[in-house]
Parts: sequence; C-alpha cells; structure tokens
Amino acid sequence: MNATGIPLKDPAVSAAAGDMEQLERAYIDASTRVPVLMFYTSAIAWLIVGTILAMVVSFKLHSPDLLSGISFLTWGRLRPAHMNVMVYGWASMAGMGTAVWLMARLCRATLRFPLLIAAGAVFWNVGVLIGVGAILLGDSTGFQWLEFPRYVAVILFVAYTLMASWAVLMFRYRRGDQIYITQWYLLGAFLWFPWLYAAGQLMLFVVPVQGVLQSAVTWWYANNLLFLWFGAIALGTAYYMIPKVIGRPVYSYHLATIGFWTYALFSSWTGMTRLVDGPFPAWMITASIAATILTMIPVATVGLNHHLTMQGYFPLLRYSPTLRFTVFGAMSYTVFSVIGVLVSFRSVASYVDFTQVSVAYSHLGLYAFFTMTIFGSMYYIVPRLVGREWRYGSLIKLHFWASAYGIGLMTLMLLAGGFLQGANLENPALPFSESIETVLPYLRGRSLAGILLTVSHFIFAYHFGLMLLGLGRTSTVPTFLNPVEAETSGGH
Amino acid sequence: MKGLAPLFLGIFGTFAFSWIGLTVIPTWQIGHLNPESDEEGTDIYPRPQSGMFVRGEHVYAANGCVYCHSQQVRADYIADDIERKWGSRRSAPRDYIFERPVFLGKMRMGQDLANIGARAPAPEESPAPAGAASPATQGAAVSSPPPSSASSPVTAPGTSPASAASPNASTPPGQRTGVASPSPGQMANTTPGGSSPAAPSAQTPGAPWPIQTAGLPPMYSAAWHHVHLYAPRSINPDSNMPAYRFLYEKRRIAGERSAEALQLSSSDAPPAGWEVVPTYDARCVVAYLMGLNQSHPLKEVRSVGGAPATGAAPAPAVQGASPAPAAAGSPAAAKK
Repeated sequence: MNATGIPLKDPAVSAAAGDMEQLERAYIDASTRVPVLMFYTSAIAWLIVGTILAMVVSFKLHSPDLLSGISFLTWGRLRPAHMNVMVYGWASMAGMGTAVWLMARLCRATLRFPLLIAAGAVFWNVGVLIGVGAILLGDSTGFQWLEFPRYVAVILFVAYTLMASWAVLMFRYRRGDQIYITQWYLLGAFLWFPWLYAAGQLMLFVVPVQGVLQSAVTWWYANNLLFLWFGAIALGTAYYMIPKVIGRPVYSYHLATIGFWTYALFSSWTGMTRLVDGPFPAWMITASIAATILTMIPVATVGLNHHLTMQGYFPLLRYSPTLRFTVFGAMSYTVFSVIGVLVSFRSVASYVDFTQVSVAYSHLGLYAFFTMTIFGSMYYIVPRLVGREWRYGSLIKLHFWASAYGIGLMTLMLLAGGFLQGANLENPALPFSESIETVLPYLRGRSLAGILLTVSHFIFAYHFGLMLLGLGRTSTVPTFLNPVEAETSGGH
Repeated sequence: MKGLAPLFLGIFGTFAFSWIGLTVIPTWQIGHLNPESDEEGTDIYPRPQSGMFVRGEHVYAANGCVYCHSQQVRADYIADDIERKWGSRRSAPRDYIFERPVFLGKMRMGQDLANIGARAPAPEESPAPAGAASPATQGAAVSSPPPSSASSPVTAPGTSPASAASPNASTPPGQRTGVASPSPGQMANTTPGGSSPAAPSAQTPGAPWPIQTAGLPPMYSAAWHHVHLYAPRSINPDSNMPAYRFLYEKRRIAGERSAEALQLSSSDAPPAGWEVVPTYDARCVVAYLMGLNQSHPLKEVRSVGGAPATGAAPAPAVQGASPAPAAAGSPAAAKK
C-alpha cells in the first residue's frame, strides 16, 4: 500500500524501507498539515478573487465603458489589483505551501512550531488584503509589481520572516547528508526573496535611486521575482514530483547541478530586457540580452534532465494528475524561456516592446510554468494532509484541460495580437489608432481564454473545498485521470 | 551536492552579482546626474517640480495611467517614435532626474506622453494660458523661449516655478488655489464651438491621431485634456481609454456658469442647468500632463532637426558617461 505512487511501478525505496518510513512520512506530513492547508486555502481564495478581477480587467480593456466612472473600478486600478493578488496572494502563498511541505519531507524533519508559520500566513493575508484595498482606493506607489504602499511592505516582510525562517531552520534538523536538488532551489528561493524584496523597497522608497534607475530597479525586481522566487520554487517542485510519481531517480545529478547554477547566475541578470531601447546606458540592456540568451543553458539541461527521467514513462501522463500538471509546467518553462529569448533580441524588441507581448510573457511564466506546476503539487500534497483522495477524476481532467487550453489560447492571442500591434506601431504611415484597432479582436479572444481559466479555477476551488471538508474518497489508491485503465494495467 | 557552505555561498554570490551589476553599478554611473545649464548658469533643464505637478503625478500613479501610456521616446534609428511626433529627440536619463516615481511605461495602448505638454497650443496662437500657465514649465513651449529661463535661476522644489513662468496667470477666474491652473473654461470661452483653430496642425504636422474635432478646444490644451479625460470617445470614437468621470463633479449651475466648466458635446453634456467641473485632482493631473515636456535640448542627445548638441558625441546610445554637466565652460546648447 504505497500511498505515494502509481500502481504501475512501486518506488524501490519504499519497498525496502517498509513501514517505518511510511510512518515517519505520515508523521512529517501531519506536522505540516495546519500551515500548508492554510497556505493553500488562502492561496485558492486569492486565486478566485484574482480571477474575477482578471475577467473585469480583460473585458474592460476592449470595452472601456463597462463599469466605468467609478474610481475603484477604473481599469488602471483593477489591473494592478489583479496583478498583485495573483503575485502576492495566489502564487506566493501557494508556492510557500508547497515549499514548506517539500522542505519538511526532504529534510526528513517534522515542522517545528507550525503555528508560528500559520501566524505568518495570517499576517501575509492581512498584508495582501490591505495592499489590494490601498491600490483600489488610489494609494498605489506607481511602480509596476511593487504597487503595494510602504506600510504593506512592512507587514509582508514581518510575515515572510515568520514563514520562511522556520522553513530554513528545518535545515538544521535535517537527517541525512545528501541535499536533494529540490532543496537547492527552495533554499535559494527562501534566501533570494527577502533580499530581493528588501532591495526593491530600499532602493525605491527608503533611499530612492534617481530618475530612470527606479525603472531599472523595478524591472530587476520583477524579473528576479519571476525567476528566482516563483521559477525556483516551480523548478524545485518539478524536480521532486516527476521522479516521485514515476518512482525513478532523477536521470543525472550532474546535469541538475549545471542547471541550477547557470539558472541562478544568468536568469538573475535578465531584467533589463524589459527596458530595451529606453533611456539607459546600452551596456545594461546588452548585458541582460546576453544573460537571457545564456538562460538557454539551464533550460536545456533542466529540460533534458526531466525528459530523460521521464523517458519510457510518458504513458503515465494518462493517469497521474500530478504528473500531467507538472510536466505541462516543466515544458512551459522551456517555451517561456525560448519566447523570452526571442523577444529580447533588439531587432524583435523594437517591435514588441510596448505591446501585449510582454503580458503574454508574464502569463507564460507565472501561469503556464509556475501555476501549473503548483497545481500539480497540490494534487499530490493535499490528499496527504487531509487523509482523503480527490473525489472526482473527471473534475481534475476538466481543470487540466480548461487551464491548458485557456493559457494556450491566451498566450497565442496576446502573442499574435502583440506582434501585429507592434508592426503597426512601427509603421509611421499608419495612424496610432490603427495599432489599437488591430489588437482589439485578439483582446476579445483573450477574454474568451479568460473564461476558460475562470471555469478551471472555480472547478479546482470547488474540488479543493470538498477535500477540505473531508468529503474526499477514502481509498488507498490515488485518484487517477483515467481510472479503469489504470487498474487493469496495475496488475502487471 | 554535499556541504552547505558552497550552496549558501553560491546562492548569495550569484544574487549579489546581479544586484551589484544591475542596480549598484548603474547607480554609480548615472545615479547622480545634475540638471544642465548654459554657460551663464541659466536656462536650467530639467527643473524640479512642485505643487500641482507633483500631486498630478500621484493621480497619474493612482489611476494606473502608466499601464497604457509610456513616457519615453526611442531614438530615431531604432523606432519611429520621433516620426510619430512624440518628441524631437530621444529621451535621456537626465530628463527624469526629478521624477518620482518615473513612468517609463511598458505598454502603448495609448500614445506616448513624454512630450504631451510640448504639444499644447502655443500661447500666442490661443490667448488662454495653456502651456505657459501650467505650474510645470520644464521647457515651456517648444518654439518660444521660455519666459522664465532668462530671469529666474534654478528654483528649489519648494518655490513654485509657476510664479515666474505664468505672466498671464491672473486672468483665469476659476482659480481658488493660488497656483496657476490651466482653466478649461477659459479655453472654451475663447474658442466658441465650430471653428477649429490652426494650432494643432502647426504643432503636430503629420500626426494623424487624434484629429482635431470641430467644436472642441484646441488639441492638447488644458480644456481639451479635461474633455478627453471626461469623455474620451467624444473626441475620438475609436478611443479605448476609460472615462475618468470620478475626477469631475457634476453640479447645478449656481448663478453664472463656471468658467472652468467642461465644454461637452451633446451626448456627454449634463442636462440644462447643470455643469461639469474638474475636481482639484483633475486639474492637477492636467497640470501634470501639460508639464511633461522633453523638448529642451540636452547636450548628450542629438535633437532631430536641431543642431547636434555637442557635436562631439558620435555615439548617441550611451549617455550616461558624463558625470557632472555643471561644467560652465561648455557652449550652450543650440537653442532653436
């Protein structure tokens, strides 16, 4: 009765380790139950709020008279509200939940003082709530990705210290010498985030830098948040989930080492590609473009490593929800990075700078890559916390396809629309309004994609709610996407 | 991987490398720029802003204008920003030294606003204090030499530059603030509906959008901005800008119609006996918009159509190298 795996292949470890190990895992999982469930519950609540905001934002962009004339419903306030809810409410909290759980499992240590972490989660929620309220009431700082006012930053920082310090301190109590790949990424994320956030706040508000450097700091912050916080958590999660679900070790530790260090080194330098052709010394932007091109090294090594780990096991994608979401996320990492490289070239950037392409890029990173991976981890972790299996395989399938088609359609629409918008923008023979006229049909298509994503999120929230209320299945086998076939092949 | 030390060192090292490389070194390089001036120490650009401009900046931030409007002009060999008449030269780091927050922007669902103030009708073409009365006279109007520059030395952030820059600030009747405010009513009164002044076409030759609409105030004047903010689609039916009606107050006309009441076309106009007047925030954001002006030449950037500022800068892409422009011996930038 290996509760973790798919019946096809029992992981060799658990067969040898036997009941003691199972017991130990159950014990560790139990210690993380309260904080991780709290993270997940708040994250999903924020996901729903952010989704509703996203729908209004998307529709208002092509129908500006919708809900107009009310100050807190104006597009320019809803958009940053949506962004910040998704970044700090949904993604950060969901990522934190997964990271804390993974850390405890990999350190083979029970989580000490889980209530302290839970208190941090409460503080964080309060911070995000106040911050979003402040944006809607017109107290935004005006810095993209850092719109929360200063007083909110203080709350978030206290909350973060409460949450992350124990996740890092777990390291002290870890058992075993080996530090697994996932732990590198998580440790990195936990240490990078506070530095990044503090540096952003200090250089923008406490000791503000001059003029255009504020923009440099903002985009340095935004890209690093994307790569070193969300990206690192998602990659760490994928390195855990893929081998775990298929019951096979990672193909190559060596590749993973190269991937990790090149990722840390190069992706942290990519921020200035967002400022291409702007009023900056050319070397800053050139350095970022070079770094973006070099991020192909971690993309190739990580992608190859996952691929070779998965080789021969791809049929399992039919059954395991975790694997399907995680592999989708891992593949999106490649797509996200390749598109990032393409749009960073100066010749391309002069077209797509100032268009919807940058929105497509952010959504690829935050949704297709990060969010899908985290969905995968939630499908794995939540049953281990509530002691029930997911109730409906069909709902998981619906969630996956709505999300996958939704984000796919959204990316296509924004990329295609953005490229055409940019081409018209760079054609002085056409009036400016032509570039807007061109992109409007694509923005309507994006709203359609948004409806798909809304459906998928509501399905997931409902399913998660059932789990939380203890209405999941009591079973020893996990819920599969295609249960009948899984059971027949399970006999092999 | 074994051993925590290399892991921790690596995590800190890589991030410190990026932090120093992309934020600390640029701060050292272009983080301490000073305004430029000619050899007498006058004609200082840029100037610190105050009063309504600063408040307008906050209104701009609060309502997320930056998510659709950029404020940067790219070089003519890269993009067609200059051809679109969004500026006469590319933006340089020095243009932004007093801006906080700086709104370079990442999206152009609306036009670039870096020089929106420079596109206002010149004072001599329309008698209302459109450009000159804005409290933010970075470079005043494009063509005319700024009235303030010859006499007033650099003004500290507290002392409003508007006092020097608005000779005709006494005229608008709608002033309760003491600061020279662009008064839409003024404009509406001077250009009664029907005739479209020639000002816009002189200011923005070849810029096909938006088009001067008959019956509306001259394009990019304060009155025009107010009408545009209140009812964007009354000016351009295809516009997808949201209407910022919450920045305006609809009130019953008490006695005489206010001089600052908006001149609205039929469908947006208030019922008879009512008028729409801008709130203080609306006046501030318009003052801010009209103060956005990068038309003043800079030595490190070549102005299109004008003489190259220094002549000795063959590489216009890198502007950051000059540490202190206060060198008094350098020749004055060619004034058009």
